[in-house]
Amino acid sequence: MLESIALIIADGPLNLWIQSIYWLWPILEITHFIGLSLLLGGLIIIDLRMAGHFREFNLTATHKLLPIVFLGFGLNLLTGVLFFCGDPLRYSVNISFQIKMVLVAFAGLNALFYYCKINPVIHTWNTAAESPPIAKAVAYTSLITWTGVLLCGRLIPYLGTG
Amino acid sequence: MFSALENTSVALWVGQSLWAYPILLSTHIVGLAIVVGIFAMRDLRLLGFFHGLCPTAFLPLSKMAWMGFIINAISGFLLFTSQALTFISSTPFLLKIACIIAGMAMAGVIQSKLRGELANSGGEAVLSGSIKTLAAASLLLWIAAIIAGRLIAYL
Repeated sequence: MLESIALIIADGPLNLWIQSIYWLWPILEITHFIGLSLLLGGLIIIDLRMAGHFREFNLTATHKLLPIVFLGFGLNLLTGVLFFCGDPLRYSVNISFQIKMVLVAFAGLNALFYYCKINPVIHTWNTAAESPPIAKAVAYTSLITWTGVLLCGRLIPYLGTG
Repeated sequence: MFSALENTSVALWVGQSLWAYPILLSTHIVGLAIVVGIFAMRDLRLLGFFHGLCPTAFLPLSKMAWMGFIINAISGFLLFTSQALTFISSTPFLLKIACIIAGMAMAGVIQSKLRGELANSGGEAVLSGSIKTLAAASLLLWIAAIIAGRLIAYL
């Protein structure tokens, strides 16, 4: 599927435009790095607090960080799509990129699970007590998955480019 | 001195091993996310975002940021050894290091100010103008460090 998308994009106007501006690529990379810092920075606080650490933070107040997490994600989705369109034939066959995309999707499902199962009852928790095991599991899954996303992303130039 | 560093066995291992360089780079990005992520959230809070989140709650979190910093100091040093001469004569690299040193110093100052506010106001910190200026400067320094770091490969 990825490869057929890549073939459509290759040599198309967006592909040629991205390749024609020398400074665009480093600018996209810098934006991608800033975006990942915002995404991870917000999630470190939200997830670690949900798992029961850093109780100086009010549990539900950590959700004020969600807009910045989404901003980081949005920046990286946009820059990520542009990376893909700039070099589609390389990304589509790259195993590290493929694993990264699976991990992003998995992190999304984990967040969806949080939203459906934990978010509705989080205000009823006794914040002095231990976090429920399911909340800990979701929180650590989130942090571990996003760490995997970072690792796979950085390995793209080194791993399995066909 | 730097050419001697490049010829140490560690430097040669980083430069020649198939996996050392990519693994160190991957570690470096995780450390970056921890350091810049935590400091950016703290700075944005001090600048007035995320109302309801207690500013002094960031104090214990700085240990984690330091952990990220140590991860990156080690991975960064190892990456540096493999091409020490190239890095040491790279302007973006030197700017990046300067930004990181200034950013960490700034973190120390913000930390002690937050501790002072915690002691004075018993938990409900009042954010002074000077701490906002420091937070803005810190945020800009970390963004500059990322920009300079990425430009090492281009300039």
